[in-house]
Amino acid sequence: MRKYLTAYSIALQETLQRRSTLLMDRLGGFAIVLSLYSFWNVLLGDKTSFLGYTRPEMLTYVLIINVLRSFVFTGRGWLLVGEISSGRISSYLVRPLNYHGYALALDLAQKTVHVASAFLEIGVLVLAARGGVFVPRDPAAWALFALAAAMASLIFFFMEFAVSTLAFWTSESGGPLFCFELFLQFAAGAFFPLDVLPESLRRLLAATPFPYMVYFPARVLLQKVSPPEAMRLLAAEAGWLALAAAVAIGAWSRGLRSYAAEGG
Amino acid sequence: MAIALNVKDLSKDYRSPVKEPGLWGGVKALFDRRYKDTRAVDAVSFQVAEGELVGFLGANGAGKTTTLKMLAGLLTPTSGSALALGHVPWRREAAFQRRLALVMGQRTQLWWELPAYETLRLNQSIYEIPEAEFRRSLDELVDLLDLREHLSVPVKKLSLGERMRAELAAALLHRPKLLLLDEPTIGLDVVMQKKVREFVREYNRRTGAAILLTSHNMTDVVELCRRVIVIDRGRLLYDGALDALVARYADHKILRARFTGPIDTSLLAALGTVTSAGDGRASLQVPRERVAASAAALLRDFPVGDLDVEEVDIDDIVRRLFQGA
Repeated sequence: MRKYLTAYSIALQETLQRRSTLLMDRLGGFAIVLSLYSFWNVLLGDKTSFLGYTRPEMLTYVLIINVLRSFVFTGRGWLLVGEISSGRISSYLVRPLNYHGYALALDLAQKTVHVASAFLEIGVLVLAARGGVFVPRDPAAWALFALAAAMASLIFFFMEFAVSTLAFWTSESGGPLFCFELFLQFAAGAFFPLDVLPESLRRLLAATPFPYMVYFPARVLLQKVSPPEAMRLLAAEAGWLALAAAVAIGAWSRGLRSYAAEGG
Repeated sequence: MAIALNVKDLSKDYRSPVKEPGLWGGVKALFDRRYKDTRAVDAVSFQVAEGELVGFLGANGAGKTTTLKMLAGLLTPTSGSALALGHVPWRREAAFQRRLALVMGQRTQLWWELPAYETLRLNQSIYEIPEAEFRRSLDELVDLLDLREHLSVPVKKLSLGERMRAELAAALLHRPKLLLLDEPTIGLDVVMQKKVREFVREYNRRTGAAILLTSHNMTDVVELCRRVIVIDRGRLLYDGALDALVARYADHKILRARFTGPIDTSLLAALGTVTSAGDGRASLQVPRERVAASAAALLRDFPVGDLDVEEVDIDDIVRRLFQGA
């Protein structure tokens, strides 16, 4: 366990060391949230509610997207693709190290910095908007939200890991990874609540793990899900997590068997 | 002495896509991809005893690095067997990995933005090295590699030589009993090459680790290895004393001279076999026993501005070996 804590600590130092990259990442994310915030603000206009969301709830949804983007969608997929394609991954494979655990530790370090920054940004927006957001008082809503978000983060980690391991077989795995990430953000509800979509598309998405990434945790926090429904959905989310982990680990061991250890 | 490496009939085939040239070839490959199997290592067998320092030689693409990667557990062979420190390498057992180090001259495991010390700390955790042992090992490596003042500098600020030495420290912190070194002096200046060589020799002496070293630098091999294994196109060509190999195939050195004035190139033939001459420069192959005399004659009888005495290129020896095989 200690090796993964040390890896976490070192990765945290390095993330902080790359100040301009961090700043650019945050500015990019902040711009998205600011656009969504302004968009929904205008769309809501004088209405008290839209698609079943009150104005404060909708604005909270948008703000919570910022936290979930930082917590769920901050991954190392592109680095993994690069490490496999260039053969740099060899240096990890010859050490007594579980690569999934190691990658997860590095991932958590990155998320720590990004989530802290996301909360700061939200604070700025809430102050600028002079309140007007929905803050749940029930600790159970926060606890369920944290659990749903933690599982969402792990699902993303394993799914991205599985897609990135395509690099073991093809030098063109960047394309699938790019499509996966783009589609994921749309299907997860990271641009707008999925209630906006037609019923048929929503039903289709409900049969995939994607809505569990943003839409479901955000609705749990907004107390839009009844406790029994929340339990049922959490159980389904746990099922997706187990499946994603199994696929990622399976793909990894198959990939290692065909690994060509490219380059000198 | 116990056997550290026991390799038997090890072979590895690579599968690579074949594409016809041009745009049409690219389009065709999109729908009908064809593959070609290439044998990179072909039934190679050898043993290395604990404490032995063996040079592993071959031209580019000979199969050296592929063999090293199989012995480090990175690649699974197509056929054959290997035992490294009693383990099958490609099973990647932690007990084996804790006693192994693979250093590739062109690769780094150091964290780029952070001082090398942080990577050493990480490796301390990864290899579960107790604090007291870490301190002792670190002190020893830092002294041997002359690294003390460089450990606190971000890796990206280090020169190539400093980085390579930090790399060695990170790789050897856990005192591996089997060290696979792939081109450890590549890209380094002569002073750094010498430092790295001295370190490898000293590490081998102090720890009794078995070391398998690949290098294109003949000086590395001559200074460090009494035994060499030569492969070409995946096949083992020679396994034995370096002296015997050099005596047989590198019985000469190369004299390279730059002249400050015009010379009569026909006179050079008396000093050795002229391999090139012109533009104020000449290159001669001279039998080892005549190197001193020929160099003295060059300096005495010709307007020499600069003179180099070089060992025959490893690739050249291997080529001769291959032609003679």
